[in-house]
Amino acid sequence: MERPEYLETTVDKFVFRVMADRYYHESDTWAMDENGTVRVGGSDFLQKKNGDVAFVEPRARGTRVAQGEEFGQIETIKALVSLVSPVTGEIIEVNGELEARPELVNEDPYGEGWIVRIEAEDFARDRQKLLEPGDYFILMQEKIKEELGKKK
Amino acid sequence: MESTFDLAIIGGGPGGYLAAIRAAQLGGKVALVEMERIGGTCLNRGCIPTKTLFRNVEAYLLARRAGEFGVTLPGDPAVDFRRMIQRKNEVVNTLVEGVMKLLSGHRVQVYDGVGTILGGNAEGWRVGIKGKRGPTEVEEITARKVIIATGSVPSPVPMPGGDLPGVLTSRELLDLDHLPESMVIIGASVVGTEFASMFGNLGTKVTLLGRRTFLKDADEQLAARYKPILIRQGVTVDIGLEFKEIRPKDAGLEVVYDKGGVEKTASGEIILSSAGRWPYTDGLGLEALGIARQGRGIAVDEYLETNRPGIYAIGDVTGRKMLAHVAYYEGMVAAENAMGARRKTDYRVVPECIFTMPEIADVGLTERQAKEADIPYKVGRFPFSALGKALAVGETAGQVRIVCQAESGRVIGMHAMGPHASDIIAEGAMAMRLGATAQDIADTIHAHPTLPEATMEAALGVFGEPIHYRTAGGG
Repeated sequence: MERPEYLETTVDKFVFRVMADRYYHESDTWAMDENGTVRVGGSDFLQKKNGDVAFVEPRARGTRVAQGEEFGQIETIKALVSLVSPVTGEIIEVNGELEARPELVNEDPYGEGWIVRIEAEDFARDRQKLLEPGDYFILMQEKIKEELGKKK
Repeated sequence: MESTFDLAIIGGGPGGYLAAIRAAQLGGKVALVEMERIGGTCLNRGCIPTKTLFRNVEAYLLARRAGEFGVTLPGDPAVDFRRMIQRKNEVVNTLVEGVMKLLSGHRVQVYDGVGTILGGNAEGWRVGIKGKRGPTEVEEITARKVIIATGSVPSPVPMPGGDLPGVLTSRELLDLDHLPESMVIIGASVVGTEFASMFGNLGTKVTLLGRRTFLKDADEQLAARYKPILIRQGVTVDIGLEFKEIRPKDAGLEVVYDKGGVEKTASGEIILSSAGRWPYTDGLGLEALGIARQGRGIAVDEYLETNRPGIYAIGDVTGRKMLAHVAYYEGMVAAENAMGARRKTDYRVVPECIFTMPEIADVGLTERQAKEADIPYKVGRFPFSALGKALAVGETAGQVRIVCQAESGRVIGMHAMGPHASDIIAEGAMAMRLGATAQDIADTIHAHPTLPEATMEAALGVFGEPIHYRTAGGG
């Protein structure tokens, strides 16, 4: 399979990537349409900002979530992070692999580190409020600047 | 020898020996009957030996991390298992001798043998004592009151093949002469998981098998966080299965089990059965006396008295919470009642500790239990990874969770996983006992830098945010 394209920026020694094949919520989660069901995870920026993930706590399978609502939390060494759902629908699967290997969220945020699959009510509608990769890339760069500003 | 007593206690484990000392302190003339060794399971084959081994394993793990702490060792650290067992025996012997001295200091008459309650007479209860070793005559004593504290034994292995050589209980495991290369543990509750953690960390290839729930006695939030840690330590964990049989395999054994209709096997040099414990009542003469039972245990009322007046039962033999500290507590209450008090038992606050690596400790309600009881609750949590002392010590896995009533803020549970979790849980137990709120804990100045600061931070977390840990929205 051909490697999907991505946008990339390097700040200090850190590389931040935004995959070009999906949509983003402004709260740093991503949504990838897979024929009606939507795979959801956290962005590279989300995991780098919050550090090593110790535990992933998605809401249970069968839970209905609305776009912009929390669909789970991740406990990292630095913060308890609320995960914001990019779509409205029912959680139909949670990534069981994360139970034993929560570090996948850090190691492969766009691949094996996906968090839930949601049966979207109307992805076309939800998509209008999501960001295209290019737009999220710009937003992310602003967020990175802001984070750097905080440290100075 | 004088053979009339105020109190005879059958069983010299933690419940029995404590009851003996307490009754003696209250002026009683006390006999204590023990068929094996004073200290019972706890001192000789349970709590103390396993915690001594636990410390041995910690020493080994720390030695393996020596470089991280700027300590250079001449070579790779290695496990000297015989020495580990020897150190365990030294600690056990010191403690057992200490308890023996305490007993003789309180003029408790210790009898070596199996105690049987023969029946009543005008002065109280007749207790027969039969030496366990060699053909000895039955000695008879009389006591106004009797406390039964005979403890428990490992329940039988729940499948065919359980009697094969190489199938051990914790008792034999603690006296092995070498570190097994591999082992299968049957039962993923407290004892099985503790041994999985210890032997896994020593380098034994461990498979931990559980019928239904992983670590069912722990807060499920913490159990879920502990499982990946155990797996990362090299332990294979398989839960949700039915055991079929144990059979020989090569030089060792294998456990055959069914998981979702598929037959699976797990093999090892030895098999450890940790499938629970049963109250031990052999030889007590309960049937002849008509003493009422509760399941396999002895039924008692809130004063710990059985249906036969003047006969009490405490600890594991009642078949309720099989914890040494519960037996201690019951020993205190029963001894006082036997000496004339009318003290009721109160089990609202019973901490439970699991000596895995890291440790897990619970007191009070879990979130699930609060939900099931329809109690509106709030939770605060704080991870050790954000605590200065935990970082300094180099033990950052785990967290403290405080559960409190939503409106009043009263602490109804505390759950901790991490360094010295079993020590810091005492604060939650005290808070619950006194009806304290999360605010009370948060307002108490905790010494810095110490591990219990995590408890204070978790209490702050109930009201929003701890100081040293962010609660963040995404982004």
